[in-house]
Amino acid sequence: MASKRFVAKRLLLLVPVLFGVASVVFAILHLAPGDPARVIAGQRASAEQLQQVRRELGLNRPLWIQYLSFLVDAAQFEFGQSYSISRGAPVREVLIDRLPVTLELAIYGQLAGIFIGLPLGIISAVKQDSLTDHLTRVGALTGISVPIFWSGPLLILAFATYLDWFPTSGRIDSTLFLPNTWTLFGTELPLTGMVTVDAVLLGNWQAFTSAVHHLFLPALVIGIYSTALISRMMRSSMLEVVRQDYMRTARAKGQGAKITLMKHGFRNALIPVVTIIGIQFGTLLGGAVLTETVFGINGMGLTIVTAIGALDYPVVQGTVLTFALLFTLVNLFVDITYGYLDPRIQQ
Amino acid sequence: MEATLSAWARPRLWLVGTALLAGVIVGPAAVALLTLYGGGAAFGTRKAFALGALALGFGVIGWSGSIFAGRGIESMQRHLDTGSDWTEADSRRAMGRIAGFGGGMMVGVSVVEPLV
Repeated sequence: MASKRFVAKRLLLLVPVLFGVASVVFAILHLAPGDPARVIAGQRASAEQLQQVRRELGLNRPLWIQYLSFLVDAAQFEFGQSYSISRGAPVREVLIDRLPVTLELAIYGQLAGIFIGLPLGIISAVKQDSLTDHLTRVGALTGISVPIFWSGPLLILAFATYLDWFPTSGRIDSTLFLPNTWTLFGTELPLTGMVTVDAVLLGNWQAFTSAVHHLFLPALVIGIYSTALISRMMRSSMLEVVRQDYMRTARAKGQGAKITLMKHGFRNALIPVVTIIGIQFGTLLGGAVLTETVFGINGMGLTIVTAIGALDYPVVQGTVLTFALLFTLVNLFVDITYGYLDPRIQQ
Repeated sequence: MEATLSAWARPRLWLVGTALLAGVIVGPAAVALLTLYGGGAAFGTRKAFALGALALGFGVIGWSGSIFAGRGIESMQRHLDTGSDWTEADSRRAMGRIAGFGGGMMVGVSVVEPLV
């Protein structure tokens, strides 16, 4: 398992990443046109009212004090209240409400990428230069090249509008209702906010089927890029590994081709692929913004789009920093896995 | 030990320090330009400070991102056969300079802010 020092070093690196993201968020919000005081006070507010709001928000203080105060608040994940999209509600509550929705989508997209991309990559490498290999490579190249804002509406058009196999939007049938809590050994616990997980926890299979039915298309759309990249990387990595001496030695000792490939080849070929899975989780989160907008799913992605349009700065700040935190935590997990797969990394 | 530390710190301090100094000089110049062509001193200082924060944030993210994922990106480029000469070390150096410049710009703007 990964050494404590290795994990501690990686955890320490989270600090500059989040500091950097907080600085960029601060910068972008101050560079963007529009006045937050006017958003809160309204278009017809007088100059005195605007000054009053600016004083309350601390916008009349020197810039470096505003910056430091913003960093301190960001470190505590305290972004105040939403200006407009959930007027008056603490941003933290808005994030807690929307985060599971996006996480669920990203996780299914990632799982689609891993469970489709890895086998495709291995098959493509094993059957190098065959028809299967050519088809997989063309498919991977197409998957990498096709943007979500194009593939999303296209899949909706094909599978929802013409074939009527899947719903066009939403997370669950509007006739179904899930409570806020579930009971475990007589104790009431809050639900996760991920409909598929909640439906399983509640034992509501009708809700589970409906949730899977609703999530299939969005997860597929978000997972296309991931699948394509993983399969391409897996193929390339596997081709490199199968040419190694230790693979030849294993075969020379009489080990079967499939066992050699899976026992010695797979784990070693997985090392660069695991890193890519972590890096492109950021793409998945970015993809969530587009996917949620296309499919009308009310997660962090749709929230940030709405918040930017409504100049709801606290929500934008909170959402961006949450995305950054998620991305860095996933990469930390990937680094630990990487260290497990290749112990030399920890040295 | 001391000599080793000094040998380690000196090039890094030079790298970031010179960029910081450049930022301190550019910051007030940016305030002047933005005030003249933008729309008042408040606008100029706000935007110049924000530009500095943007460069600082971008540099810090890039620096830590290079450490976080640099090896993975190097490996990905090798596997995808991109033919790029990008390295983690080069990226860290470049990002250090950008962050230093941004930080310097913020300091420069903060110094002139009470004056304008």
